[in-house]
Amino acid sequence: MTYEFTTEDLKEIEKIKSRYPEVKPATLPVLWIAQKRFGHVDPDVQKLVAATLELPEAHVHGVASFYTQYYKEKKGKYVLDVCTCLSCQLCGGYDMLHYLEEKLEIKAGETSDDGLFTLNQVECLGACGYAPMLQITNDKYVNNLTHEKIDKLVDSLKKGEEPGYEKMEMPLRKNN
Amino acid sequence: MPQVIIDGQTYEFEGKHKLLQFIQDLGKEVPFFCYHPSMTAPANCRQCMVKVGQFVKDRESGEYELDDNGEKVIRWFPKLQTSCNIDVADDMIVHTQETDALVRRAQKDNLELILINHPLDCPICDQAGECPLQIQTYKYGPEGSRFEVKKVHKPKRVVLGPRVVLDAERCINCTRCTRFTEEISKTNQLTITSRGDKNYPTTAPGREFTDPYSLNTVDICPVGALTSADFRFRARVWEMNQTPSIDITNGKGCNIDLWTRDNLVLRITPRYNGEVNDHWMPDEGREAYKIFNENRISRPLQKLDGEQILSSWNNSIATFNEQIAARDKKEILFIGSPHASVEENYALQQLANLMGINEVIFTSHTESGKGDDFLLTDDLAPNTTGCRLLGLKELDQKDLGFRVKKASLIVLVNDHFIDREIFSASDLDGKYLVSFATNHSKTTKFADLVIPITTAAEHAASYVNVDGRIQRTIPAKETKYSNRRLNLEMSEGRLDRYGTNFDNWVTEDNKIDCIPLWNFITEAANASGLDLSFEDGRSMMNEISDKFKPFENVSYEAMDAHAGIQLSLNPKTESPKVK
Ligand code: SF4
Ligand code: SF4
Ligand code: FES
Ligand code: FES
Repeated sequence: MTYEFTTEDLKEIEKIKSRYPEVKPATLPVLWIAQKRFGHVDPDVQKLVAATLELPEAHVHGVASFYTQYYKEKKGKYVLDVCTCLSCQLCGGYDMLHYLEEKLEIKAGETSDDGLFTLNQVECLGACGYAPMLQITNDKYVNNLTHEKIDKLVDSLKKGEEPGYEKMEMPLRKNN
Repeated sequence: MPQVIIDGQTYEFEGKHKLLQFIQDLGKEVPFFCYHPSMTAPANCRQCMVKVGQFVKDRESGEYELDDNGEKVIRWFPKLQTSCNIDVADDMIVHTQETDALVRRAQKDNLELILINHPLDCPICDQAGECPLQIQTYKYGPEGSRFEVKKVHKPKRVVLGPRVVLDAERCINCTRCTRFTEEISKTNQLTITSRGDKNYPTTAPGREFTDPYSLNTVDICPVGALTSADFRFRARVWEMNQTPSIDITNGKGCNIDLWTRDNLVLRITPRYNGEVNDHWMPDEGREAYKIFNENRISRPLQKLDGEQILSSWNNSIATFNEQIAARDKKEILFIGSPHASVEENYALQQLANLMGINEVIFTSHTESGKGDDFLLTDDLAPNTTGCRLLGLKELDQKDLGFRVKKASLIVLVNDHFIDREIFSASDLDGKYLVSFATNHSKTTKFADLVIPITTAAEHAASYVNVDGRIQRTIPAKETKYSNRRLNLEMSEGRLDRYGTNFDNWVTEDNKIDCIPLWNFITEAANASGLDLSFEDGRSMMNEISDKFKPFENVSYEAMDAHAGIQLSLNPKTESPKVK
């Protein structure tokens, strides 16, 4: 497939380039622009980025493949990263993952047939205090997961409504 | 002068040095993988750890601070340092693994880490025997591993390009190969994909590693990850002989090593020469092993009733002399060759002189656009400059064609004019063609007399590159008439030493029935009563150096001592085009 940046994208890319003395450091932010525009940075998108920045294709590929946050293939509209690292695991992370697997009828790593959801099992996302948790498409965290919370989340995502940012309070330590 | 103390020894130094290189230049050792003297040092393998400190000086007085025993106080760097990217500084104290248990421990632990997912199957690995990882693990590594979990598996036999195959499991991600394509060949074709224990080098998706210098990555890969598609698993290093030689596939004259086993050249690798090719060579030059092994002419061929048949040496010498004697000298054309060495062209020239034949001519073999700014040249022959310096008459292809038309006997040395389409077979109707050649070609097919001569892999001879540097070869491969044990210059490997004709690992078949051109000329001259005798390249070069101003002071000894000699190009000869 051939991809093309829009004129706005290109303007944005120029702005990014002007921020650095060389072009190479622009690779990361431009890959983000691409992922926002096309939903992923598959090999063809990587080529587009390389051509746009006049950088070697191999370099762009190396950068894109280094970071898991860049999707190297088409994903669902919503990518649900469920944490099963230590704290989440102890608080039911696997239970949440399996509940989602059954609910969406896909295994971790797969994308649902309607193209709406991709389910991933991931390591610690740094929100251990609110375990178990998941992250939606590299962005919002949904914390203190329960089956009910997942039901509500999936329903609203199906309607195209993304939850807002959740405000989490740090439990204050009382100095006595 | 600034001083540095390494393992208790004081060394003076000048200028800027990286510590690892400095230590190596002293003839000492620190293990390393990712560092390469011709590329940047990213310090990512972490193997070259040493302990580094500095004497403490009082800022104001400039006096060394002393401890209670009157010894200078040392301020050690808080952590061990990678020696490859740290600059040697005045008053530096360095402890290597030779003197420091902590350094030994660090190097050992680092190897244990590098080896966690490494296959450790050296017995079936192509690199075994010339593997820095293997050697350093023997010397500095742990006895065993504490990791008993299943190893991470990665792709094997990945065809990166037409000439390079990757075994990702063996890769230690030193990035030498990717840095090579970034910094040296500048094609930027390789990168490291993924991260952590999943990473390995690769091309961009859908792209091939077509870099014209791609095989250099195989040489510098410190493990068996990158292998040559042509050579992989064909021979063990310890079964081969290594003989220094010169690349004859273009005008640059890259310094190379020929690796032979049982008189077959199995691979060609670059040899360091800072004046010519640094550590590198183009992939094309490595293909030359085929020239040495395949399609060789073995025993003279003579045309009888329109058909070439094998002939004896005596017969071919007699025929050669008869054909020359039967003609008017003006109808005889001697054609030298930029593909032949200085010595060969000289021998031909001397014979022509004695026979009273017109000057020896030659035409260069170039292809414009073939060269780059690196090690490829437009000149496809190794000795164009040599022919010019010997004063052979250089003709363009058209003039050469005219001369061929007028001649009735053409003596051609190691050039394939029909293949090169300088003249066609029909131009030769009614003429007698003598072809001194190494390999069969369309041209030799039409020759009336074909004399097989030695290749650069079989004789010691010199070639002058496009920049005017004269360099020489050493015989690597025996012919029917040469013998490793008698020619002390030839290297002798285990198989040569202990093999007999009754073993299945040595055969006679790989020895070609050919002789150096100058030997044939000596025989032919003697048979026709001419006083001309050449012994070998070494003595011929002494003659040449006496007779020709540009070759003044050139000798094999001098070439060997200085890795070739830069000749001052005679302003009268057209100065070679340097690409
Ligand atoms: S790369 Fe070196 S250490 Fe690894 S298996 Fe091959 S020879 Fe052994
Ligand atoms: S393939 Fe070889 S040279 Fe390339 S990164 Fe791996 S170990 Fe280093
Ligand atoms: S373990 Fe799940 S966020 Fe840290
Ligand atoms: S050689 Fe110094 S870190 Fe690799």
